[in-house]
Amino acid sequence: MASRAATTAAPIDLGAIRAQFPILTREVHGQPLIYLDNAATTQRPIRVIEAIDDFYRHTNANVHRGVHQLSVEASEQFEAAREALARFIHARQQREIVFTRGTTEAINLVANSFVRPKVKPGDEILITHMEHHANIVPWQMLAKATGAVLKVAPMDSKGVLDIDALVELMNERTQLLGVVHVSNALGTINPVTEICELSQQRGIPVLVDGSQATPHLNVDVQALGCDFYCLSGHKMYGPTGIGALWAKAEHLEAMPPWQGGGEMIRYVSFEETTYNDIPHKFEAGTPNIAGVIGLAAAIEFLEDTGIEAIAAHEMALLDYATDALSQFEGLRIIGQAAQKGPVLSFVLDGAHANDIGTIVDHFGVAIRTGHHCAMPAMQFFGVAATARASFAVYNERHEVDAFVDALGRAQDMLKP
Amino acid sequence: MTLDQLYQQRILEHNKDPQHFGPLPEATHRGRGLDALCGDDIEVALIVQGERVVDAQFSGEACAVTKASASMLMSWLIGRSITDIPEAYEAFRALLANPEARANELLGELNDLQPVGAFPARRGNACLPWQATLEALAPALGKSV
Ligand SMILES: Cc1ncc(COP(=O)(O)O)c(C=O)c1O
Repeated sequence: MASRAATTAAPIDLGAIRAQFPILTREVHGQPLIYLDNAATTQRPIRVIEAIDDFYRHTNANVHRGVHQLSVEASEQFEAAREALARFIHARQQREIVFTRGTTEAINLVANSFVRPKVKPGDEILITHMEHHANIVPWQMLAKATGAVLKVAPMDSKGVLDIDALVELMNERTQLLGVVHVSNALGTINPVTEICELSQQRGIPVLVDGSQATPHLNVDVQALGCDFYCLSGHKMYGPTGIGALWAKAEHLEAMPPWQGGGEMIRYVSFEETTYNDIPHKFEAGTPNIAGVIGLAAAIEFLEDTGIEAIAAHEMALLDYATDALSQFEGLRIIGQAAQKGPVLSFVLDGAHANDIGTIVDHFGVAIRTGHHCAMPAMQFFGVAATARASFAVYNERHEVDAFVDALGRAQDMLKP
Repeated sequence: MTLDQLYQQRILEHNKDPQHFGPLPEATHRGRGLDALCGDDIEVALIVQGERVVDAQFSGEACAVTKASASMLMSWLIGRSITDIPEAYEAFRALLANPEARANELLGELNDLQPVGAFPARRGNACLPWQATLEALAPALGKSV
């Protein structure tokens, strides 16, 4: 069962929320769209769409490079977004925010600029069995190139991380611990604060993959006690192609730049180049300016709506859907941690996830099917694929009902 | 194209009770069809004598479309000359690509899979058994052409 959110937040005004998402009025196969693939990407509220549109219509210019008015305004909006994100995740300073294309690029940045320069053959990178490929493959690549070894902490049959085993895998050779805050495949919310404390006691820096956490949890990077926190705009109602790495300033100061080019330099001659200050040192080239501005609008949406209220609404939906799915014969929920994000992954006897996905789609219900970019987690549960419904602030109970009906149709059609 | 045309009786029957499903220890040729994203992972095992397929079996785990396609394809393969198979695959793909296309005699029962073409996200499933078959035959076809 999902945990029941204990909250005092005022309930959300669902009608007012839904009215902000233009896409929710469209139809799919002649049925109203029921979008339950939010863990893959959320939809965008109108203010995000308008912020991008407005930028291109009225402000478009390159940032940090001109004396003219548009460039000044674009730069101001760009840096205001950095400030908004810093505030949103409770960073100490806004220069600790590096804009990236998303979580994937943020993790690769840490792999290349933080770990790679110090790693020696035989050193270890520690991750968990429930990581997304984005928090596996960069470390495998690094290990291959440097002779380092990738270690994997186990989880139990509910999809809960084995903290004792994790601690046992920590040692003086461990150069970094990478852990997902909220699992996209299982929903598990990991006890990141506790993990960071155990890790820091042993002098091991921690990278947290927060891509599934920022839309659902109050994230306070200082309270968590991590060293790096990675996020993606498109998982939190913002644009695609924009995300961020938060890192402690002292790490960013000490790290060499990753990519070279404009923006990241202070002075260039053919003999010598001096690098810009953080965070610009890590933002080579013209950034995704409109994306950053759209992300700021998404943060404003989250703050206006209130993360606690969003989480309470989503948890109620998760509980409701979990109860409904539990009535299905032959249905197994993959990921049954007590602390879960609004993710419901499952397999159904005799019905392959792919077929379920196609059938419910014909009733207008968008769910995800497949390995969810977490193949090792799937392998752990002995399944090749799951079907996954994941909820966002705009989802309604009757949408869960429609999904459950459609799933019943799929089960009937495919029944052995 | 409606859902019922995709999940027509024939496809559902092949899914529930696939033909030529199971191991073929004496196989002379084997190929794997893996679509990790979908969670399909099948093996096609063939016994080829001279240029002829004398037996064909598939095994593994897959969705209804892949399973039905594999089940029909195995029956179709038995007795065929391996040199005809690449061309038949092209004909099969052409059939899926065009909902108006008329049934292709060469393909026999496989024509029943045409409705899959209307579900672009699922075309790959129908093609996966063919790809595994061609992978299995790649060494033999390499020699014979
Ligand atoms: C847990 C998790 N980590 C990392 C990623 C990768 O994020 P992005 O594709 O935005 O870089 C995702 C997105 O699918 C995810 O769910």
